[in-house]
Amino acid sequence: MSDKELTQRSAWETVLASLKKRSLWMLHYCTGCGAVELPPTMTSRFDMERFGIMPMVTPRQADILLITGYLSVKTLKRVILIYEQMQAPKYVVGFGSCTINGGMYWNSYATMKSLDRYLPVELYLAGCMPRPEAIISGFNSLIDRIDRGEANSWKDYYENYEFYRKNQEHTFGDIETHRSIADDAQYYGFVEVTK
Amino acid sequence: MNSGIGLIVWIIAYPFVSFFLGVLLGGYGRKLTARVQRRVGPTWIQPLFDVIKLMTKQTNISHGYMHDVAMMMLVGGTLMTMYFVPVPGFHYFSQFGDYIVVMYLLLVPPLGMALGVGQTANPNGSIGISRALQMLAGYEITLVMTFIGFAMKHGTTSMYELMKLQQAGGPATWGIFAEPLLGIAALFALQGMLNEKPFEVIIAPHEIATGPMTEMGGKYLGMMFIQHLIALPMELTIFMNLFLGGAQSWVEYVVKLFVLFTLVLVVNAVYGRFKTDGALRFFWKLPLPLAALGVVMIMANGM
Repeated sequence: MSDKELTQRSAWETVLASLKKRSLWMLHYCTGCGAVELPPTMTSRFDMERFGIMPMVTPRQADILLITGYLSVKTLKRVILIYEQMQAPKYVVGFGSCTINGGMYWNSYATMKSLDRYLPVELYLAGCMPRPEAIISGFNSLIDRIDRGEANSWKDYYENYEFYRKNQEHTFGDIETHRSIADDAQYYGFVEVTK
Repeated sequence: MNSGIGLIVWIIAYPFVSFFLGVLLGGYGRKLTARVQRRVGPTWIQPLFDVIKLMTKQTNISHGYMHDVAMMMLVGGTLMTMYFVPVPGFHYFSQFGDYIVVMYLLLVPPLGMALGVGQTANPNGSIGISRALQMLAGYEITLVMTFIGFAMKHGTTSMYELMKLQQAGGPATWGIFAEPLLGIAALFALQGMLNEKPFEVIIAPHEIATGPMTEMGGKYLGMMFIQHLIALPMELTIFMNLFLGGAQSWVEYVVKLFVLFTLVLVVNAVYGRFKTDGALRFFWKLPLPLAALGVVMIMANGM
């Protein structure tokens, strides 16, 4: 984490963060078996909505991209396209050991071992697979991080886009994404404007 | 509050009051639905957190000029309609526009939404819009029919005067008791107008990915939420003024709003969703003939 991110926040930003943490919408990209733990988390047994976390159906509306399970070469490409459609601030949450190190698919030729080389991951939920309690606890720590103003991993995608792009191109060859991240970063002022 | 400084203050304050009421109603709706499903549910002002979160998003993707303008049309049209609906202590504009004007202005927000969603060029959005306009053919005709009956009975189209007549006559003259056929038909229409189940075919998240809202993110979705929260008390007030005798004080107004909304919500909580053709067929099969029968009975009584 660079020095810039550790500067003190203004009072307005502190208040805003404490309001924004109360509403998080989640897009769950259910690739693997982990998706089965989500229905109990959302419905009456564990009720995620009491923290203001709701499932949403399109990337444009979502704040959290929850990736539940292993990513093959094919699905990772879709995940990157989905991530770039989301509006910042956006948080990627890796769910289960598959996203951390491949999990039980670690020696498969077709799965990606580590998600954070391709997308900036805010939070990992370890386990194979994490129980609803673990998901709730993970989201609560995300809420705490947002409140403290530390959940800034999404800025890393704008600031260090070359790193992620290099890894993406290494895997896919030349992939076509629909927005220029470098232009966006300059337009919204996430990086210094280079002329 | 209908002349001088009070009027100006009220014109400025009314959108905020309406938004605040909408936040309370929306939060109440989510809480009540959660309790029906045996969940704890979010806080009572959850819609406010959602709107703040959406309006402070740091990137917002615009799909073009019409997409931006449509959001203004959406919120502007709703605000304009809101002023013509009389509430306790504020009926200044309702002397210039009767219920026909309100019906006309109610069409501006869906039209604005149609233009904006058209530019996003998302197929799910287009399906949502076509469904919204189809549903208009369902509930609007029923609503107009009930209103025609009511206007024929009392000989006026002014919402304020209809409200005053009911208030003078006491609860026995309230539309829903005096003309139960029209009242029941309008209750169905209200369910459709508020876009609650079983007529929730426009949003239908599992089917067409929230329809018109598919490509909306950040501030665009925030504007849609604000419009929804302002429209919520307004649409309930229209029903209340015609069929529940309006309200004489703000306490009565808020109580009636919540009671009416509870009725809509409990139906919403236990029903599934119609298919689009099913919803339209239902509207034309049950509420519309009911309303037509009510009108015929009023005509028979008048002769």
